[in-house]
Amino acid sequence: MTALGALLPSILLTAGVLAVLFADAAAKGRRPLLLPWISGTALVAVAAVAVAWLAGDRLGDRVVLGALRMDAFTAVLTLFCAVAGLVSILATLVGDGNSRPGGEFHALVLCAVVGMSVLAAAVDMVTLYLAFELVSITGYVLVGMRRADRLANEAAMKYVLFGAVSSGLMVYGLSLLFGLAGGTSLEALRAAVVSGASSQPVFVAAVVLVFAGFAFKVSAAPFHFWAPDVYQGAPTAVAGFLSVASKAAGFAGLVRVVLALGAQPATAKEPIASFLPWGSPVAAVLAVAAVLTMTVGNLAACRQKDLKRLLAYSSIAHAGYMLMALAVWTPNAMSALVFYLVTYLFMNLAAFLFAGIVVRATGSSSIDSLHGLGFRNPWLAAAFTLVMLSLTGIPPMLGFLGKLVLFESVLREGWVWFAVIGLLNGAISLYYYALPLRRMYLEGVAEGAPPVRLAPGAAVLAAVLVLPVVAFFLWWSPLADWARTVVPSLRIGS
Amino acid sequence: MGSNLLTLTFLIPLAGSLLVLLVPKESAGRACRWVNLLTSLATFGATLAVWSGWSKHTGGGYALVEDAAWIKAFSIRYHLGVDGVSVALLLLTSFVSLGGSLASWNIEKSPKGYHSMFLLLLGGMIGVFMALDMFLFYLFWEIMLLPMYFLIGIWGGPRRQYAAIKFFLYTLAGSVLMLAAIVLIWIKHGTFQIPEIVALVKAHGGLFGEGAEGLRIACFIAFFVAFAIKVPSFPFHTWLPDAHVEAPTPISMILAGVLLKMGGYGLIRMAYPFFPTAAATLGTTIVVISLISIVYAAFVAMAQTDFKKLVAYSSVSHMGFVTLGLASLTPEGHNGAMYMMLAHGTISPMLFMIVGVIYERAHHRDLDRFGGLAWAMPTYGVLAAFGIFASLGLPALSGFIAEITVFLGSFQSFPRLTLVATVGMVVTAAYYLITLQKVYLGDTPAVYRDKAHYPDVSRRELLVLVPLAIVTLWMGILPDGAMSIYRGDLEGILEGVKAIAGKP
Repeated sequence: MTALGALLPSILLTAGVLAVLFADAAAKGRRPLLLPWISGTALVAVAAVAVAWLAGDRLGDRVVLGALRMDAFTAVLTLFCAVAGLVSILATLVGDGNSRPGGEFHALVLCAVVGMSVLAAAVDMVTLYLAFELVSITGYVLVGMRRADRLANEAAMKYVLFGAVSSGLMVYGLSLLFGLAGGTSLEALRAAVVSGASSQPVFVAAVVLVFAGFAFKVSAAPFHFWAPDVYQGAPTAVAGFLSVASKAAGFAGLVRVVLALGAQPATAKEPIASFLPWGSPVAAVLAVAAVLTMTVGNLAACRQKDLKRLLAYSSIAHAGYMLMALAVWTPNAMSALVFYLVTYLFMNLAAFLFAGIVVRATGSSSIDSLHGLGFRNPWLAAAFTLVMLSLTGIPPMLGFLGKLVLFESVLREGWVWFAVIGLLNGAISLYYYALPLRRMYLEGVAEGAPPVRLAPGAAVLAAVLVLPVVAFFLWWSPLADWARTVVPSLRIGS
Repeated sequence: MGSNLLTLTFLIPLAGSLLVLLVPKESAGRACRWVNLLTSLATFGATLAVWSGWSKHTGGGYALVEDAAWIKAFSIRYHLGVDGVSVALLLLTSFVSLGGSLASWNIEKSPKGYHSMFLLLLGGMIGVFMALDMFLFYLFWEIMLLPMYFLIGIWGGPRRQYAAIKFFLYTLAGSVLMLAAIVLIWIKHGTFQIPEIVALVKAHGGLFGEGAEGLRIACFIAFFVAFAIKVPSFPFHTWLPDAHVEAPTPISMILAGVLLKMGGYGLIRMAYPFFPTAAATLGTTIVVISLISIVYAAFVAMAQTDFKKLVAYSSVSHMGFVTLGLASLTPEGHNGAMYMMLAHGTISPMLFMIVGVIYERAHHRDLDRFGGLAWAMPTYGVLAAFGIFASLGLPALSGFIAEITVFLGSFQSFPRLTLVATVGMVVTAAYYLITLQKVYLGDTPAVYRDKAHYPDVSRRELLVLVPLAIVTLWMGILPDGAMSIYRGDLEGILEGVKAIAGKP
């Protein structure tokens, strides 16, 4: 694959950014419906490229430009983030906030997707950091886009402060790793690790610092504090975008870094197997972070009164589940992570879509604003219920399948206690996922509450997201098989 | 029909559940209950067909088997089948649901939602008793939680929200542990099929290979806790009184009549045959848990002033006999446990209906405020006395047969411990007789003499109560009838368990 081919998504998206900005300028502040069409087309094109990569099997599994690795994992994450961006743009049209956002919104989403797709492919520390920052900075602006909204301003400020600190920690850690490796490529880092660099104390410090940066990005404890405020203050569609795409990109970068930190010789056929042994400090850090993240997320979510904050803590808990796969770190666990990300994409985007619809209709993101929704709009409430159950992991919903595959990969390595902690966390989460259900159904009909209407466009979008959540269990073998095909090509070298 | 009979049986209620949603809003109340009743009737008919199909089956094992590849990546199969144990419980399920459907006649709040959830619940229950793939079993097992949550949470009493989420959380917490054990079995042996796993146990003397007794015990505990929560056994029973008190009458009937039996079914079908040695090792523990359930719950029942809560605790007490009988690992014990499930499955819905009848008229269930109802409502009084005597174990009624059979088995294995259970029986007799005295005998307060507000049981209520009473009487006089359905298969399962457990 040529360098141009590898850069095709970035080129398409950048073209989209320019087109959106020009169209916006030409419209002289009228905010035409053309903008979502342009950005949507760019994202669909990127998704099509990613699908073609996956279907054509012509990625070559090699590093181009010394910095980007073209493999199935890159293609999957590119597809994933493009879809999330597309859904978020569509969700702004029906959800809360400005339903006709300006060109800058579309440009920023496209820029963020550029950053994400590069982050998923990056095998060079400088590229990785640049992509990481591109995702972060576009995120800051997206969160604070509603300039007149005090809550949004506060959220953006918090996001910037947390982001700046953790990205500072990360870049410091990367500089230490650069010193140890004598080069910026992850392959050089791995070579250094293989020749014994990992026994130095500074190595552990560097790893912890780099993980801190990623922990911020995937909202893992103890770097999760920004998430509830940011999700609450941001337009709901942006919050959904951050919670899905930004998190997935963070995990993608983390996967590449952990690949480099392994002590396995670079020549081994199987890139991942038995590479983080039980006693490995990297595995220990990831396992502790996983347990901490899911427990903190789930327990804190139980006390929330705001729907968006609740979803924020829920997304923190899900980051904890996904970290479990990283801590276990077998090919099986990696394919479980891919599988889980796909399930998470549908259910979490749907949850934020519904939250946006409710916020728009009632003007409040409090859980109380759902009061009696089961009787005010039965279809919306039923769909919302199914998504909440899916997030809990109740069969036969999509979320259950994700958890099943994930916990299978954990149990397969004999980490029974680890899995039991995760499973019990899933049971705890039922309590808060049921809070919206309670408001919607158990407390009767609200007197004089504003009607919540589901626009036809919103209904179609909701159906596209919810249908897989509900019906996928009937035949999910292909997705499980496909997730397994993604992993064998996953490396950091050529 | 023929080979797809089992699929059809659980699809009928699911189809009915969807059909209810299509009913136009104007006629919702009346149309929905008819859809529910006819669907329940059709389901009952289907289970009768399953019964006859099963009885034509020869050669042991499962009848009417449907087995097809489903999720190949995880070797999950669409695998249904029934043996005598399942058939008996399927009959119980559809029979009690039919009564529940009739008892739901005057639900006025959101009837579409109610009847739809009712039928979804029925479909889930039917599925649990015929699934032979553990993944499928788990799906059905959990699918019931949601309708139950809503049925208690929307149509329940004043503390319905608390009761509904408590029920949901307890069951889910138990079942995630079971899921871990199921997945561990799959990882080690590559199958979710219950018959295959039982065959593996027979061939190798246990799952997970040599020297994995610790893991076997852990997995047995995971299964046991999941099912003990459903049964419910002490100390996992606390959700039950809340759920029962808050649930509407028909849902209490189904909860007590069928849902609790799933715990016992799971123990018989999976926990015991999968881990015989662990079951034998933990035998005494299980007996102690059962005895605490029997005696403690009986004493708690005695202290109740709420009629419905009293019946709820009596359920905990009676279901203790199920685990007691199973722990004995004797044919009599297992027969008795199963018979107790069927007997309790018909008597307790009857009692909940009896409570429901008076609650509908009096709008309270305070035992101390009733009196002499037998004189005000004679037919009701007779039926109530019948239910109460059946539940306290009067000879010639089904409860007596169940208790005596459990004792016959349990005495063989745990002669001294079993004596403790007699205390429970005495206390049970005491609180029921006190209740009978307080509510139905003695002087009738003036309020209850008002014929307009306290009419005797209606024809619809009779239609619910009398069939349950007839079955109770039939099972008490001719125990061989019901026992012959499940006896052969149940003893086959037990022999498998004993063959392994005997040589640890």
